[in-house]
Amino acid sequence: MAILTITYRGTSAVYPLEISEDIGDADIKRIAVEVIRSGEVPGLQIGDLGNSAFMHFVVDRFDTPEGGKRLYLRPKVPFGAL
Amino acid sequence: MRIVFAGAGAVGSTALWFCRNLDGDIVVIDFDRVESRNLLAQVFTRQAIGKNKAEASKLQLKNYYGKNIEAFGVRLVKENIDRLCESANLLVDAFDNADSRRLLSQFARSKQIPLVHAAMSADATFAIVRWDERFEADVEDTPGQATCEGGDHLPFIGVLGATLARIIQDFVTGGLKRDAMIDLRTVRGC
Repeated sequence: MAILTITYRGTSAVYPLEISEDIGDADIKRIAVEVIRSGEVPGLQIGDLGNSAFMHFVVDRFDTPEGGKRLYLRPKVPFGAL
Repeated sequence: MRIVFAGAGAVGSTALWFCRNLDGDIVVIDFDRVESRNLLAQVFTRQAIGKNKAEASKLQLKNYYGKNIEAFGVRLVKENIDRLCESANLLVDAFDNADSRRLLSQFARSKQIPLVHAAMSADATFAIVRWDERFEADVEDTPGQATCEGGDHLPFIGVLGATLARIIQDFVTGGLKRDAMIDLRTVRGC
């Protein structure tokens, strides 16, 4: 079991996910689009979310102390100072 | 404790502002100069226009609060990073590009100096503060991508700068290394 946190347009929502260890970023993005469209992610329901909504997003993966996975699908953060 | 800030732009200058009460020696490094447009999203005042950002930070903190910090108005590169950062007990990354972030990460890892990164998305709807052990620098989708320098993003920059300052404070006072994610609704631990 993994916990997927999706951040889109300034809102974050959490979705529990049954996944295999070797799931790729593209699959995570595809799953995220599907579950958001279908309203399965509390607080983040967008029925007409485009297939490429997460094209430029990144996936962070962390192990939890309990032996699970935390996944973060989020926008890139290239900026800090100008 | 010697705390070295790499970058005194939107996030760096704001975090510095909130770190002025810390019990430590603060150093700031930035090669850039304050432009009038920077006043929209950075803590600099009109009197700072034209000055180096590191020097302007030093002047403002001294003049307004009596806080003494060190300033280096140079670009941080591999040729000078040893000299500028080797004595640091904490490094703070508020850079705006992946190459500089990676340079700082490589240095921090080789010297085993704690390093915390702050970074935000181009549209200022999302940001992270993350310790180097769990950080990987993102690159722009396209070189020269528009950045979050407009005044519209000032409140979000303020939240990120304050969050970074609090995480620095927790490390300085108690050795804690907390990460944070910030979106338009929340600041949450991660």
